[in-house]
Amino acid sequence: MLSRLFRRFTGQKASKDAAKKRLQFSLIYDKLELNDTTLSDLQKDIVSVISNYFEINKDSLELKVKRDDNVTALVFNTPILQVKRKRA
Amino acid sequence: MEGKVIVVTSGKGGVGKTTATSCIGAALALEGKRVAIVDMDIGLRNLDVVMGLENRIVFNIVDVVQGKCKISQAAIKDRRIENLFLIPASQSDNKDVLTTSGVERVANKLRKEFDYVIMDSPAGIEKGFENSVVGANEALVVCTPDVSAVRDADRVIGLLYSRSITPKLIVNRIEPARVERGEMLSHEDVLDVLSIDLAGLVPMDEHVLISSNTGTPLVLQNESKAGHAFKRIARRLNGEADLPIEVPTHKTSMWSKISKTFGFKN
Repeated sequence: MLSRLFRRFTGQKASKDAAKKRLQFSLIYDKLELNDTTLSDLQKDIVSVISNYFEINKDSLELKVKRDDNVTALVFNTPILQVKRKRA
Repeated sequence: MEGKVIVVTSGKGGVGKTTATSCIGAALALEGKRVAIVDMDIGLRNLDVVMGLENRIVFNIVDVVQGKCKISQAAIKDRRIENLFLIPASQSDNKDVLTTSGVERVANKLRKEFDYVIMDSPAGIEKGFENSVVGANEALVVCTPDVSAVRDADRVIGLLYSRSITPKLIVNRIEPARVERGEMLSHEDVLDVLSIDLAGLVPMDEHVLISSNTGTPLVLQNESKAGHAFKRIARRLNGEADLPIEVPTHKTSMWSKISKTFGFKN
């Protein structure tokens, strides 16, 4: 009780709050850790799906996991050469 | 009726797995159940000394799995607590000596002979962990309120989920005074981070070390707060699911409050 009051007066943060925040972040990042085979498997799958609709240059595409402070995003970047015509 | 196999695990070492295993096992036996505690930490056995049974080892779990002896030959009967048995680990073999299929077969046999089989898993998530988990119906994950133990607990919880086991958490070595001062994660903080059901909360307790010094069961000491908490965890496992979980508290004397206010050390 008293120490909580004391912290309020001095504006000091409890170290356990830091611990909690750091844990929450690291657990999220731990789960997002991809190994190389997962990433290359994912890339193969994405290419095969996209190739059904577009003609793409398979050498100039990039797949990245981008991490900002708040969000983590999967970024897939590829130039489109041509739209495939749907077969009748 | 078949018994239950419960694995006690943590990922991180030194958080109190062995203490938890021996206390919960002993407490279940005091409830009148037939209990086998199995030390799965091959090569680094400790349950035998903690339980004070180190002088009575003849056979071990490796002998049982390899068919060199019967379960009844390896199970050491505790003389202080009725219906409590320890199957010790081997000290000379290394961890790779056991196969998961062999351990699973023995776990199924144990289930037929005991009401509860408690597996004390080694630290880590390698072969020893696999072997401890393979025959289990239920799991207890032990962690202390610090960042490394909680992070490792999260990893282990994930591994248990992937084996279709929904574990429950024991937060061990809680120091209520430090939680109150904001120096230690509270059990609520830990649960927020881990999202798992609680099996129980165990306070830091000097009796744990003292009882392991002499190899006497902690749950037989009425003044031990940790022993009391483990007894309640055992009762919860043993059908009293609604028994409330007590949050460890500390008493501050008037004098220590006053002296703290004025900045004196107490």
